[in-house]
Amino acid sequence: MTCVELQQSLAEREDANSVEQRTHLRDCPDCAALVAELDLIVSSAVELREADGPSPRVWNSIEFTLRKEGIIRPQPANGSLLPALSGRWTWARWMAPAAAVLLLSVGLYVRRHSQTEQIASNNVHPAEVVSDAAIAGLNDEDLLQEISEQTPALKAQYADNLRRVNEYIEDAKSSVAANPNDEDARRSLMDAYQEKAMLFELALDRSLP
Amino acid sequence: MSTRTVELIVVGAMLAGTLVAETHKELRFNVGAKAGVSVNNPYGSISVKPSTGNAVIINATLFSDKIEVDSNQTGNRVDIQSHLLPGATAESGRADYEILVPADASVTLHSSTGPMRAEKLHGDMTLEGAGATVDIRDIANAHVRIRTLNGAVTLTNVQDEHVEVDSLSGDVTLDRVTGPLVQVVSTSGRINYIGDFGNSGEYRLTSHSGDIEATVPEYTSADVSARSVRGEVHDDIPLQPKSHAPFIVKQGSAFVGTMGRAAVSSTVVLRSFSGKIHLRKRSAK
Repeated sequence: MTCVELQQSLAEREDANSVEQRTHLRDCPDCAALVAELDLIVSSAVELREADGPSPRVWNSIEFTLRKEGIIRPQPANGSLLPALSGRWTWARWMAPAAAVLLLSVGLYVRRHSQTEQIASNNVHPAEVVSDAAIAGLNDEDLLQEISEQTPALKAQYADNLRRVNEYIEDAKSSVAANPNDEDARRSLMDAYQEKAMLFELALDRSLP
Repeated sequence: MSTRTVELIVVGAMLAGTLVAETHKELRFNVGAKAGVSVNNPYGSISVKPSTGNAVIINATLFSDKIEVDSNQTGNRVDIQSHLLPGATAESGRADYEILVPADASVTLHSSTGPMRAEKLHGDMTLEGAGATVDIRDIANAHVRIRTLNGAVTLTNVQDEHVEVDSLSGDVTLDRVTGPLVQVVSTSGRINYIGDFGNSGEYRLTSHSGDIEATVPEYTSADVSARSVRGEVHDDIPLQPKSHAPFIVKQGSAFVGTMGRAAVSSTVVLRSFSGKIHLRKRSAK
């Protein structure tokens, strides 16, 4: 089972408890981290109060992206809500829901660091937070490769903006790590990830025929 | 025949070829109140102004035969799509649109190159484009959402609006922009605000490495907090200090205070990681 097949299988079996899923998760730390993060999202979602959730701006942005990409639509006959895994634009069709998962994960990460000292000490230490790529499957190299194939003249522009936004994210992460209870730092991290999600969405607008 | 003459003839022939290849297309749609209009034009400009009556009128200039205009009306919604044909490039696939819509229509514009312009409307607006410059003016009582990668954004005389601007590296200028929420996020672009922050809104200007400059008149009423992690912060206007600040105020890196009358003040938050922040007083004319 490949990483992509595992992600597809999660739609049918969310507990990742099948033999194939368990075998893959044993050998793949990235997918194991992703499943752990998704489990945390599911378990934490019931605890979220409306006032603790991401701002309406974040939800609006997620909904706007999902509707634009046609992800929000009547459920197909086979019951799968996940984008198709075949075809040339496989990775691109995964980016919008992946961006949504990224934003949700960041929102929960930021929320965890704003809770009481006891909860903060019991939760994931900043050093243990999963990588960006593991959280959302977003891959900078894939993006630049696609841009260079579709519109090579713009690769340098996108590479430069990708570098800027990654610097933003790293600086924001450092601020949160240094001051977990600093609301400005947490908000800055959310904004930084939002900028990166926007970069991928704008690139996606260009790459699809 | 001299070389110069030959060159002129060649240039003239090329120009004539270009002019011949241009075509114009006009479309008209009758709509009701609060219609929805969306335009997706990968290459080229989009300009939107108010129409008289309940009609959407589209004038398109197509720069070659490698592009055609697809249009569709479903109920009260009009969708316009520039359809690129095989072999189209950024030059040959270019189309420029001039569109008239009812002033209360909701407008959604996409263009990678732009520019995109809208004026004198009061319906919701969404404008997106990687390299497109965006120019919005004389808009009131709606929701404006703008996203660009490196296209500059200019908003002028935008009143009582819910404004959200995301420009990764484009500069953002807001001149007389007020509303219940005005929010600008940029990674490396400069943010320049000129105005009085209204009287009861929330204004949040955030840039990672770009500078933020706010130029306000003396009569401005606002609770202001400014903070830069690594950049400098300057304040030309005396502020009444607040008894409790949300963070430790380090001289030269942050300031917090109230200007004008607190009872009718807006909340202004200026944040940068490494850019400079400057609150200036507008000079009297």
